[in-house]
Amino acid sequence: MRRRIVGLGIVCICLYTGQITLQAQEFKLFDRTVQFHGFASQGFVYTNDNNWLTMNTSQGSAAFTDFGLNVSTQLTDKLRVGAQVYDRNLGQLGQYHPSLDWAVVDYRFKSWFGVRGGKVKTTLGLYNDTQDLDFLRTFALLPQSVYATDLRDATIAHTGGDIYGTISLKRYLGDLSYTVYAGHRSDSIYSGYPYLISQYTINLSSYGGLQYGGDLRWTTPLKGLLIGASRIDEDITAKGSGVSFYNPSAGVVPYYEYSKAEWTNQFYGDYVRGKWRVDAEYRRYLHNQIVWNNTSQTIVDTRGWYVSGTYRLTKRLGLGAYYSRYTVTNAFSGGLATFNPNEPDTSLPGGHIYDKVVTGRIDLNRFWNVKVEGHFMDGYADSAYPDGFYPQVNPNGLQPNTNALVLKTSVNF
Amino acid sequence: MKSRFALLVVGAFALLPAHAFAGEVKIIANSTVKATQISADELKKVFLLQTHFLKDGTYVEPVLRQSGTAHEAFLKEFIDLNDEALRTYYGTQVFTGKASMPRSFRSDTEYVAYIAKTKGAIGYVSMEAATEGVKTLEVMPLANRTERVLLRRVEPIYPKALQPLHLSGTVRLEVTISAKGAVEKIRVLGGNPFMAESAVSAVQQWVYSAGRSRTTVNATIAFDPR
Repeated sequence: MRRRIVGLGIVCICLYTGQITLQAQEFKLFDRTVQFHGFASQGFVYTNDNNWLTMNTSQGSAAFTDFGLNVSTQLTDKLRVGAQVYDRNLGQLGQYHPSLDWAVVDYRFKSWFGVRGGKVKTTLGLYNDTQDLDFLRTFALLPQSVYATDLRDATIAHTGGDIYGTISLKRYLGDLSYTVYAGHRSDSIYSGYPYLISQYTINLSSYGGLQYGGDLRWTTPLKGLLIGASRIDEDITAKGSGVSFYNPSAGVVPYYEYSKAEWTNQFYGDYVRGKWRVDAEYRRYLHNQIVWNNTSQTIVDTRGWYVSGTYRLTKRLGLGAYYSRYTVTNAFSGGLATFNPNEPDTSLPGGHIYDKVVTGRIDLNRFWNVKVEGHFMDGYADSAYPDGFYPQVNPNGLQPNTNALVLKTSVNF
Repeated sequence: MKSRFALLVVGAFALLPAHAFAGEVKIIANSTVKATQISADELKKVFLLQTHFLKDGTYVEPVLRQSGTAHEAFLKEFIDLNDEALRTYYGTQVFTGKASMPRSFRSDTEYVAYIAKTKGAIGYVSMEAATEGVKTLEVMPLANRTERVLLRRVEPIYPKALQPLHLSGTVRLEVTISAKGAVEKIRVLGGNPFMAESAVSAVQQWVYSAGRSRTTVNATIAFDPR
């Protein structure tokens, strides 16, 4: 870990002194121009109380690293191919297991109709497909009520296909952009949900399934205003092993769970005017699973929304703030209901996280930025689905409020 | 003495604020681009990577400047994004697998040379820039059934009497266009009166696209002594 930080530090010093010039790199291959681009980020998080996002943040944690590299080329006038690999470590998650982030064959027939196939980033709301790309935004962490970084794998990509396009509407009515997709989602076993349920001795070997949905966004005639809506439906199964709560004497047995209903609705708006940007999003996620080999059912109903504003003060300095609200209710039936009461009260600390955030972003040059961000959280949302605060790293229980300082630097080329 | 006085008087009346005519950049393209015109809507789609083809089926590749006055003017006039917002937009496309990054250049010479040698390349330069080896495309305003598109424009001749004074100025005209697209009537609305005759003479030769009926539009003609 120390070597990685030192290495990143050396890269940053070289960038600043101009010893490395980061440009889009390209080379010729069989008379085709192939481009490659990359990015990396390193963060540090300190919290005054609870440990957050599986990191040991109450002592200060730098286990907050990610990087990616992509290549792409235009094979014909309408056909493009590319791929990106990605790796991350976030506390107990990721653990530097690299993955294929996306690998796409894209054929654009017309501006209003194109198809993509392969492993494709999922279009959901304003920032789902770009949530890893720290350099593209002001905030170090997107609002966790909608874009939970510990649950990135749940929505980031699908292996399948998309149909997409942009339609110009008549008489100054703006443009409509649509995406419709279907495919298979496959979460890393080093992601939030497998880690959460490992506290119950469950070790998942696979977690994923069918995912299909769509997105429609309207670039309105009011200059700078975009509004839209997204929907995902999923049919997820998980397999692994664990010690059954209803028959512990049997030892480690096979474990499976599957979706009864699993969907996400998201509504959003984005307004850009001059140096200002204002965003607002609302997401509702329903996670209704049959768990523990058909013995129990858990229904987790989460609702999150945020409003954010950013302002570009100078060419090199940007400021931002957001208010994020997340509420969760839990209901259990079957065998699990004996051990877990229903939790419908979102006013309790275990039923919500309200987060007030302020951020400053400094661009040292076009390729390198630094961010300082403060989070002031009320609540910790303790549920059967990950909410950012995990019992495994908070063995003494959770305090109702958490303040966090996030420092982050990222580079891109 | 009398002529100098006359020139001073003319100069005094001719000292009107100059208004730059819309368009600080011109669109240039490789010779493989067949079109002589491009709509503002198409141009925006090309540079937002939403299409690689013009309406006539020609393949196009957008090429950008990295900075500079022409770059800022182009983004403001045609793309509705500033440089930072455009780079963020390109980043979202490139790093999510939706597009490749357009080429960009710092130097004018390299930029024009690349467009001249690259099939389908399309870019922008300032009005005064040298454009050897590339063609210039006329930009049509956003599509609107009632709008009359200027198909042929004749530039006004700078009045000889004002040449010693090196004055800039504008003339505002109301232009009545027939259904077929010819200029039927011109009325001077305001501006520098010493430039009006030359402005009217030029606009009388303009040709517009055909429309359903007679249309009246306003035009501002700028005079630059250079």
